Amino acid sequence: MAERAQPLQAQDKLTFLLSLVPYLMDHDRVSVAEVATHFGMKPEQIREAVRLIGVSGIPGETSAYQHGDLFDISWDDFEENDQIVLTNRVAIEDAPRFSAREAAALIAGLQYLSALPEHADRAAIASLMAKLSRGASAAPSQVAVESTDSDATLALIKQSVASGVQLEFDYLNSRGEFERRRVDPLRIESLDADWYLRAWCHLREAVRTFRLDRISNPAITDRAISFGAEDVTLPETLFEGSADDLIVTIEVTPSAAPLLADYIPDGAVTTERDGLLRTSVRVSHYHGLKRLLASMPGVATVVEPPEARAAVAEWAAAGAARYE
Amino acid sequence: MSPASPPRVPVEERLFSLVLALLATESGLTKNEILSTVQGYRQRYNRSGDNSNLERQFERDKDDIRELGVPLETIESPGQAGNNQNLRYRIPRGDYELPADISFSPEETTLLNLAARVWREGSLSGESRRAILKLRSLGVTTDEPVLGYAPRVRVRDAAFEPLSTALEKNVIVRFGYLKPGETDARTRTVAPIALIQHQGRWLLHADDQDAGATRNFLLSRIVTPITTTNKRHAAFDATATGAALAELEKIWDERTATVEVEPGTDAAARLNKRRGTVQLPDGSLQLHYSDFEILADELASFGPEVLVTTPPELRAAVRDRLLRTAADHG
Repeated sequence: MAERAQPLQAQDKLTFLLSLVPYLMDHDRVSVAEVATHFGMKPEQIREAVRLIGVSGIPGETSAYQHGDLFDISWDDFEENDQIVLTNRVAIEDAPRFSAREAAALIAGLQYLSALPEHADRAAIASLMAKLSRGASAAPSQVAVESTDSDATLALIKQSVASGVQLEFDYLNSRGEFERRRVDPLRIESLDADWYLRAWCHLREAVRTFRLDRISNPAITDRAISFGAEDVTLPETLFEGSADDLIVTIEVTPSAAPLLADYIPDGAVTTERDGLLRTSVRVSHYHGLKRLLASMPGVATVVEPPEARAAVAEWAAAGAARYE
Repeated sequence: MSPASPPRVPVEERLFSLVLALLATESGLTKNEILSTVQGYRQRYNRSGDNSNLERQFERDKDDIRELGVPLETIESPGQAGNNQNLRYRIPRGDYELPADISFSPEETTLLNLAARVWREGSLSGESRRAILKLRSLGVTTDEPVLGYAPRVRVRDAAFEPLSTALEKNVIVRFGYLKPGETDARTRTVAPIALIQHQGRWLLHADDQDAGATRNFLLSRIVTPITTTNKRHAAFDATATGAALAELEKIWDERTATVEVEPGTDAAARLNKRRGTVQLPDGSLQLHYSDFEILADELASFGPEVLVTTPPELRAAVRDRLLRTAADHG
């Protein structure tokens, strides 16, 4: 699995123990490595859990945790061959239900992903959500995310990857320039309501991030791709800083500051004065900055440099002038 | 440490042993039976003295286990109604186990793994992580999809976590809410019904105790920390969330604005791609929206690339925003 193995809290560890037992019951003999891969954990986390299960059980009639009241494993197989064989089990017979909140998190996640081509079969998704509800210990109802229509561009991107051919499209960059781009799609990413394609761009000969809503006239080509997802290591962050970036000082009201979080570089110094936060944001050029500031009227202001102030002022004034 | 100190039993071992003991009993165990016999408690149980620390530990453990969806129930001993010391605890197997007829196909499992990855921060990431562990106990193996996805919904409003906890516990909360156009926040007392993400913003759908009706509150306009009261309210019907989302969709569907966009600009590309946008015969675009202020902010960001034609209030709001930004940077 792609996700990293993380240290677990007590509740996670308990959930894992309650999940691992039914899995082991269904597998007569399984290696620690295989279980680790299946659950997305480190082998040592599996061994630790198995050691605990192997000595756990119920007080039993004697209240003394007698041998027959405990789980047992084949300890030789475990210690010598890293194999797990459950030889006695107690109390647990099946996988646990989801909690209401767990089921709600998955259902809301599914709702959010409704633009994906995998969701085209709406009846199948509805039945999956119903199964999650029925498999929960109480009605999962407390979180919901708006669903969207299937996105045609996403479907085309998927087709391009599946058939190993390049995709081309018109792309309007944030400077307002149109270009026909040819790319090898690598990964689809999203942040809240915004969707992005990360791809190898044949025009720039580098990995680039494209906003899906700035892509138009996409088409599948007959040229084979040069790079697949396995060939390129994508950076974790969607937006990378570059040496040419401009640093701008701004003042923002504390309640609006989270809206700027993605633009504030690591190590930026934030000070407070007269109830306003003063900090720096990193932008690749003023074309992006003026749009950002114009969407935060009255709550964020550029302090310096003067050229940045002027760029924002001109943009807003030109917009207002259209209403004269 | 004195030689008499009991050996320390890890938390997960105590919780695991408690679940096993309560699953295995039909008639239930009394608190005293649990504390004196179950692994992790028995080592600290004092046969002749005070066990109040251990009892408090048991109370916290019960909460932790229930939070994971384990249906720990209490039953009264026959003929001993009202006697707390003789309450019996058990976990009914039928309510604990996933119903036998529920299974997930490899395709469904792949989708659920992806759905879980949407939540990478806050309490929802813990919930999804545990849901996926339970899903994997069913042993279904999956393939990674041909096209990799890295979806992410952020939960960065400070109010999200305390509201999420209040939702679970069915308690009334209070917070200061700043309505757009007002200069002072007003205190609202509400019974939370659901947290809903609509148009990229988190909303709290709640029963406003003063208004006596349900209201939607944008989390970003909650300007004070959430005060959790100890007043509980009756649980809401499970259909209330779906109904609230449908109501938001209805509002979004009913509210429209018309704008002219400069061809070939960022505004033209992005507003055309916005959900529900219709191009009118004269070339202008009809947009749907649910929140007037949010749409005005969004349209203002496009500067001269957009001219709002209707409704007139939106026209004025966008113009005022642009004048304000120009003045602040002049």
